[in-house]
Amino acid sequence: MSTTAKLEIRDVEQRFDSTVALSRTSLNVRDGEFISIVGPSGCGKSTLFNIVSGIQRPTGGRVLLEGSDVTGRSGQVGYMLQKDLLLPWRSTLDNILLGASLTRRVSRADRAHAAGLATQYGLGDFLDHYPHAMSGGMRQRVALMRTLAFARDVMLLDEPFGALDSQTRMEMQQWLLRVWAEQRSTILFVTHDVDEAIFLADRVVVMSPRPGRIRQVFDVELQRPRDLETLTTPEFTTLKRDILALIYERDAAPGAPSPSSGGESPSSTPNGRQA
Amino acid sequence: MIRARHQDKLWLRLAVPVLSVLAVVAVWLLLVHGVGVAPYVLPSPSATVRAIADDWDVLSDGIVITGKEFVLGFLVGTATGFGLAVFMAQSRWVLRALYPILIASQAVPIIAIGAALVIWLGFGLTPKVVIVALIVFFPVVVNVLDGLSSVDEDSINLARSMGGGPWRTFRTVRLPATYTPLFSALKMSATFSVTGAVIGEQTASSTGGLGVYLTQQQSRLNTAAVFADIVLLAAMGIIAFALIAVLETIATPWRRHGSAPRRWRTHVSRPGDVAPGSEVRPAEAAPPVPASKGAR
Ligand SMILES: Nc1ncnc2c1ncn2[C@@H]1O[C@H](COP(=O)(O)OP(=O)(O)O)[C@@H](O)[C@H]1O
Ligand SMILES: [Mg+2]
Repeated sequence: MSTTAKLEIRDVEQRFDSTVALSRTSLNVRDGEFISIVGPSGCGKSTLFNIVSGIQRPTGGRVLLEGSDVTGRSGQVGYMLQKDLLLPWRSTLDNILLGASLTRRVSRADRAHAAGLATQYGLGDFLDHYPHAMSGGMRQRVALMRTLAFARDVMLLDEPFGALDSQTRMEMQQWLLRVWAEQRSTILFVTHDVDEAIFLADRVVVMSPRPGRIRQVFDVELQRPRDLETLTTPEFTTLKRDILALIYERDAAPGAPSPSSGGESPSSTPNGRQA
Repeated sequence: MIRARHQDKLWLRLAVPVLSVLAVVAVWLLLVHGVGVAPYVLPSPSATVRAIADDWDVLSDGIVITGKEFVLGFLVGTATGFGLAVFMAQSRWVLRALYPILIASQAVPIIAIGAALVIWLGFGLTPKVVIVALIVFFPVVVNVLDGLSSVDEDSINLARSMGGGPWRTFRTVRLPATYTPLFSALKMSATFSVTGAVIGEQTASSTGGLGVYLTQQQSRLNTAAVFADIVLLAAMGIIAFALIAVLETIATPWRRHGSAPRRWRTHVSRPGDVAPGSEVRPAEAAPPVPASKGAR
């Protein structure tokens, strides 16, 4: 897998003075893969994203994109931060075009492309709206379209649906899977919601704090397309129980070995458990 | 609440201020004709209007002279204030070094500064422009700095993650955040920088103007002429305020509208606009139902 990795996070480490925000972490991401990352606050999820996006240079390790070193280089991946960060003075279309206007003169083709994307994903009637006139769900869509219009193969989404009510959240998950499938993007997705993490992902990365590290990576071998049925399959339930057990430091089942607390580069094994 | 005001009928929005001005004139009339206040204390509105007409030659020159000081000072003060704020925002050390000097400059009475300026710059246009500029400049610096620092650091991070250089990031993400506070500062300054022009002229002047006229008529106890001058000065402040308010409405449409007004729209919506590269790629069907219950 390491030779075909779309994105390779290799021995990345981040210290802030004495605190270790992220201890030596490695992860390989395949092209077109959807990876969910779960873990309590402060376990270094955002730090990891800041490093992969290049806005923060790690104190150790490297980030490789299709084999080339992009450590500390921004503009290589799409990054949607925890807040929607829409600019209040820009209409939907102009917010979506932010990436373009930050790097070049925005052309007619840029506008047409952005308008096309927005229309294709349900924002067609909102192109001229200012952010303050839109609901939370709509704003998240715009923020995601902004990331998508930036047109990078890899997208980092940091708790994009965290602030939404559960109804809207469901719609948005569906919508995101549609975008992902159609655009063939590679997505890293941070969430607090284990159901959401499993439902969306090919693999679920569980992180833990002090020091921030990857505890374990779970393969999600549920068929796609996934639907309501998926949530009640034994595979889903088992996986969810294992992940929750790991997060809450309980054993998943009687006799199961306790989860490893080794901080570095867990390789993915079917259904997770790593020695 | 701003948008609620926007929805009010235009005639209503115009009629109410006109009515309130008429009410002031009515009280004025009542004081002069009803209560019988002496004309050398309070001239009647008609006497004031007559005073404007009688001395129109001098007064119209005064309007031009004072207006020029006012407008030039306003522009100079705004430009320097804005530039300085942007400069100060580049580094917190520059900010910390300059802020106390700024505040001290405002603590010195403008009359004292006026006297010094006359010594340095003479009796002409320049010292008045400088005084007006000094008055406008401070609120502009403070408000623009506020605007610049109101921008979420994460917006800057987002711009950096998209590969935006410092200048484009500044122009795109920070600069527009200053417009609203800038206009607040300008509206405040619009009125009291008229005072600045008057003080400048009264400190020393060889050029005339409404401030000079005011001093002359005051020494003659010509109350009607003094009132005529006051009315013109007030009108100047009101017009400046109104112009800035109109400019603000045009420049910051997002504060009053839910969607971009036509002239600000950045796309021409034509049916059948097909974006290159946005065609649907072959895809698996979207799963109909996702998971959601908060697991923890
Ligand atoms: N710029 C920084 N300076 C110092 N400490 C930081 C900084 N950024 C993050 N941290 C610390 O690193 C740890 C991980 O933070 P973060 O990546 O934001 O966690 P998460 O996103 O998982 O909640 C936290 O303990 C946080 O306080
Ligand atoms: Mg975070």
